[in-house]
Amino acid sequence: MGAKPVIQLKHLSKKFGPRLAVDDLTLDVPAGEIYGLLGHNGAGKSTAIGMMLGQVWPTSGEVRICGHDVTAHRRVALQRVGAIFEGPAFYDYLSGGRNLEILSSYTAPTPRQRIQEVIEWVGLKGREDSKVRTYSHGMRARLALAQALLPQPELLILDEPSDGLDPEGIHEMRQTILRLHRDLGLTILLSSHFLNEVEQLCTRIAVLNQGRKVFEGSLASTKQRKAWTRLKAGDFPLAVKELRQAQLITQERDGHLISLSAGVGTDQIVRLLVERGIPVYEIAPVEEALEDFYLSLMNGQREAK
Amino acid sequence: MNLRWRHLRNELWKLFGKKRTYIGFGAFVLAQNAMLLVFRFTRWQADMERMLEGNGYLALEYVSALTVALIMLIPQILLLMPLYAALVGGDLVAKEVEDGTLRMILSRPISRFRLLAVKWAAGVIFSAMLVLVLGGTALLFARVWFPWKGMFVFVPGAVFNVLSAGEGLKLYFCSHLLMTLNSSVVLGIAFMFSCFNMKPAAATILALSLLFVNLVLEGIPFFERYHDYLLTYHFHAWRHVFSQPLPWSQIGQSVCVLLAVNLTTFLIGAAAFQARDIKS
Repeated sequence: MGAKPVIQLKHLSKKFGPRLAVDDLTLDVPAGEIYGLLGHNGAGKSTAIGMMLGQVWPTSGEVRICGHDVTAHRRVALQRVGAIFEGPAFYDYLSGGRNLEILSSYTAPTPRQRIQEVIEWVGLKGREDSKVRTYSHGMRARLALAQALLPQPELLILDEPSDGLDPEGIHEMRQTILRLHRDLGLTILLSSHFLNEVEQLCTRIAVLNQGRKVFEGSLASTKQRKAWTRLKAGDFPLAVKELRQAQLITQERDGHLISLSAGVGTDQIVRLLVERGIPVYEIAPVEEALEDFYLSLMNGQREAK
Repeated sequence: MNLRWRHLRNELWKLFGKKRTYIGFGAFVLAQNAMLLVFRFTRWQADMERMLEGNGYLALEYVSALTVALIMLIPQILLLMPLYAALVGGDLVAKEVEDGTLRMILSRPISRFRLLAVKWAAGVIFSAMLVLVLGGTALLFARVWFPWKGMFVFVPGAVFNVLSAGEGLKLYFCSHLLMTLNSSVVLGIAFMFSCFNMKPAAATILALSLLFVNLVLEGIPFFERYHDYLLTYHFHAWRHVFSQPLPWSQIGQSVCVLLAVNLTTFLIGAAAFQARDIKS
């Protein structure tokens, strides 16, 4: 993680009355990453994003975007930042093009040519003069993306960008995010509760629960935490008993999964079971999905209380 | 184009792109025509002639487009103008928060103060247009039914004056400048409430309630000595323009009070908005 962080949160907290929405959150999002912010509804993701964009004032702590303190130097900090929110809102009674013109002016004067470029990039060419009220959900999402791209951002903050989209729209949005990362080299912060979306897009994730960060690391590390091996044997309970006695496994679950002891390979498992006369039909390592990891993390949090 | 002007132009697009912005203009035109029909086809004209002749004036010279236009303005300035100015003022910030567009704007590197200043300026331009259209259409429609002659101004207990058509037109225009100030104050009060965390309708209702309280207090004889503290009292400055001799000090005092109220409401709104968290 040698790249300079584009987003830095230091001991960030936010209280709404007596409720602590974000609790001592420290986070670094390095340049060039697609960083996933995970958590259930009310976990504090949107509040954290609000603080990154200077829309919500932190109760304590510091937010730095592109090296600038957002609270003290909001204008400089947000100069090269684009953002999309859940259910993007526009002036429905104006055309898509006019909406872009209005929104872009809040960053800097934007030449008409740049607006046309972006319209073309998101695939809205030919519809820019139609009123936004005539747009489908997918077109609104593309318009949201267009407005976020207008200031030629280095950082894109996406707060539940796929919310309300149909499966085709969700797929399109994912492809666009990957394209933005690949072609334009943007750093992307993606807040989502679609775990498979995060799994497909992100390189690093942070998980929030009740305002606190409960995990931060690479996506790969979530898969290595507990490697399970699928075992299909003639008599699974007997196989488990024999393997435990031989101290080759530490745990079993769901009637077909075993956790190997450190340094043990699947060849040793097969050899022992065959020697004991237990037929082995299949043995293969199982990669834990992000969903399993997330759920076990949340269950662990609940049990810890 | 300078960025400030570009923002102002954008705010005007947003404001005048909405159909509801035009409700006020439409209502004025309807009300004016309804009143004109009443003036034209009831005993109103005969009563007016009797009053003028009773005071030694040649009635036919003063039952004119200017006189009728001014008479039509009084109920509209009292009732319709505050309603529509408050409606638009209450929408300016709160509606954008409610719709979610403000969150989109505030993800941009614009200061909240500048954003509010531009919105407020657009609101003042709307106020001015509302009043000028109100006065212009009143005069235009009145001219269709009544001749272009001298002007007679009568506000019971306040003004009684007769003027030539030229002088009357000049003062009619000046009175509209003061009405623009009234309208911007009403809009400013609603704008101030709309900067707090509330729905647009609540901001409009609070602004109108504040005005009604002022109006009721002004009507209670006990509060006569406190008139200087009541907004609606200062709203009467526009009709003093027609008084002879011109009460300069009274008009000047009211203008200063109204400008100060405008500044105060803007600053309170800006402070509240600056301190707020903008969330979905």
